[in-house]
Amino acid sequence: MFGFSERSLTNILFWVTRKKWLILSFLLSISFFYFPSPEGLSPEGHRTLIIVMVALSLIISESIPLPAVAILILIMEVVLGVDTADGVASSFMSDAVFFIMGSLMLAVSIVHQGLDKRLALLVINITGNKTWKIVVGFVSISALLSSFIGEHTVGAMMLPVALALIRNAGLETRKATKLSSVLLFSIAYGCAIGSIGTPSGGGRNVIMIGYLAEFGMGKISYLDWIKMTYPIVILQIPIVALILWRAFTPPQKNMDSAVRKLKVKVAKSGKLNSNQIMAITIFLLVFGGWIFLSPIFGLGIVALSGVFFYLSFGLVSWKEINRSTNWGVILLFGSAISLGIQMKETGAALWVAGQTLSFLEIIFQDVTIVRWFVSVIITGILTNLLSSAATVAVLGPIVLDMGGNPIITGIMTSISSAFAYLTVVASPTCMIIHSTGLITSSDYFRAGWKLFIISVLILLVVSIIYWPFIEI
Amino acid sequence: MKILIGISSKQYSGPTLDVGMRIASILNSSTTILDVGQKISEFSYKDVSIANELMESWDIDRPGVDVLEWDFEYLQKENYIKKQSNESSFSKNLLVDKGNGRSEVFLKGVAIKNLSLILRNGDIIEELRDEVQSFNYDLTIIGGSGKRSMAHDLIQYIDSSIFVVNNFNQKQKYKILLAVDDSKSTGKALKFGVRVAQAFNIEVDLITISNDQVISESLKKASDRAEKMMRRSGVRSKAQFVKGELVDTLVDFAKEDHIIIMGKSSHSPITKFFLGSKPLEVMQSCQCPVLIVK
Repeated sequence: MFGFSERSLTNILFWVTRKKWLILSFLLSISFFYFPSPEGLSPEGHRTLIIVMVALSLIISESIPLPAVAILILIMEVVLGVDTADGVASSFMSDAVFFIMGSLMLAVSIVHQGLDKRLALLVINITGNKTWKIVVGFVSISALLSSFIGEHTVGAMMLPVALALIRNAGLETRKATKLSSVLLFSIAYGCAIGSIGTPSGGGRNVIMIGYLAEFGMGKISYLDWIKMTYPIVILQIPIVALILWRAFTPPQKNMDSAVRKLKVKVAKSGKLNSNQIMAITIFLLVFGGWIFLSPIFGLGIVALSGVFFYLSFGLVSWKEINRSTNWGVILLFGSAISLGIQMKETGAALWVAGQTLSFLEIIFQDVTIVRWFVSVIITGILTNLLSSAATVAVLGPIVLDMGGNPIITGIMTSISSAFAYLTVVASPTCMIIHSTGLITSSDYFRAGWKLFIISVLILLVVSIIYWPFIEI
Repeated sequence: MKILIGISSKQYSGPTLDVGMRIASILNSSTTILDVGQKISEFSYKDVSIANELMESWDIDRPGVDVLEWDFEYLQKENYIKKQSNESSFSKNLLVDKGNGRSEVFLKGVAIKNLSLILRNGDIIEELRDEVQSFNYDLTIIGGSGKRSMAHDLIQYIDSSIFVVNNFNQKQKYKILLAVDDSKSTGKALKFGVRVAQAFNIEVDLITISNDQVISESLKKASDRAEKMMRRSGVRSKAQFVKGELVDTLVDFAKEDHIIIMGKSSHSPITKFFLGSKPLEVMQSCQCPVLIVK
């Protein structure tokens, strides 16, 4: 047919079915391009929104590799005349991207120090043998650590600890049990609630801080952020533990022998060695840098200084960092932030914000509720479909253009983007625990929906009762 | 002949592995067992691989290795690989990374020709297709799936012949049900049927189905040719004509005690894509194993 062999026709059909989202978004973008710009939206803004639509559909469908989406965003920005090549290049790199790059590299450096065994010892020394205490311990340690080091690092380090406990309890590490569900979710949800605690808890927090500064809407320091958000982390810890315990109450109420075996195993690795001490010291210095130096140098540069020290002291090799860093994600966030800045500059964000406000005001009758609905509920839902950082990168400029106090709206959006409880793709930790094969997609919903609602309520209460008392 | 056996989990893949290995060893073909693990999102695959490396430092197998271990133990139990005196159990050290997310288990003392064990991660159709295209397999053996789209994608996109081990019962004594018509693909299906029937020493029901009142000459000839071929090859067979619609008649006749063998559809890939095909309909509605010969 048409001069094609049967095999090449099959190949073409296969390509078309696998790339249907790419083709569909290409066709849609061409037809939108020839639509007249809606009233109040500049032609550049119109074209920027076309790029946003293409990017979102390609990220959600994963029909082409993520780095290809990143590159496509940059190409479209220039080809559609949204900005010049140099303009796009300068919006592509920012301190937020430095931070994401730095924190991914720091994660690799920390993970390779063998500190996971220390972490295991710390957890069981605090919690003892009772299973419910271990669950509380897992949630607390994951939350507290991930708020400083970042969730993907903590998720990766806590996973073997949980699996070792499961195996030591005499259960198969390949068979889903209530014990495996409760322990693995303690890690994932603990990391999620922890990541809101400081700006360095997740790339999305830094993206929001970057937007606030870039758009001249205000500055927020590392400590101010902690003051605003840490009470939420602390409040959430017992709630997460309780919800998980009720959803997956394991028959093993006591884990005496499992804990004992784990202690024996960990004791074999000996005391902290000098490299580990140095690695911890460097991280503490980075942490100090984030608190005291980031207002001057930026969070990203501080993170990169940490990477510099890890590399120059020989604590991690460049080969290792190069191999284990997800460069595709860095490219994608660079592009997404660049797109966010273009949305603001071309007025596309303002237009979408205006349209959303006028539409939702009919339903809610009150602009404060509308703002709250978009920054909390829409962000929370989108974060479970996309990924948290991409959600903030794209929604950030829109919510910031909705009026009200931008710092409050911005932080609310960042916090809601951590409500990644419902799907596998929502956060790296959700994917890490899913990859063990012990957690099914429906498990996420089972405990996650309650937590989602409670998280929204806690955020609401804290923002109404607590935030007005602290001066930001 | 090169055979690929596709496995996805211990839970559902037992019969597939068993049937696949029996066919492979009787036909003395070079065989690959491919385990396809779940797809990891691109956002997180590096984080997951870091977590996997840490798990290995705790002597915990990374996901997927357990399925390989299960395959390995099965192969040893059934004497497809010889037991080594000092290394009787599966060891992770045998797992070699071949690049592109493809790992291979190094097998010692293999009793049948060219046996390999491969682990890949991703979408099952994409991984099977890539494996078949890269290494030119003649037959892919895979378990039945509840998903209708899976059968469609298998028939449409996998280049080799496909054997779907659907609803397989190890205690059942199966007969072969060969759908005969005057198309080119019937010839290939017949050859395949003869090999399987000879290897397993089973009887063949040759069935020619037509909706017309009078059976056409060409169909009669095709049926005669098929019968002659069976007789010459020493395979016990019974030929019959049945009036009716192809798919329903074939499925009703096959019940649960036949293995259906039929040739691929002669329509173009585009027609098959939009309108489906008879082999696809058979695969979706039958309650027994099906072999579509390409």
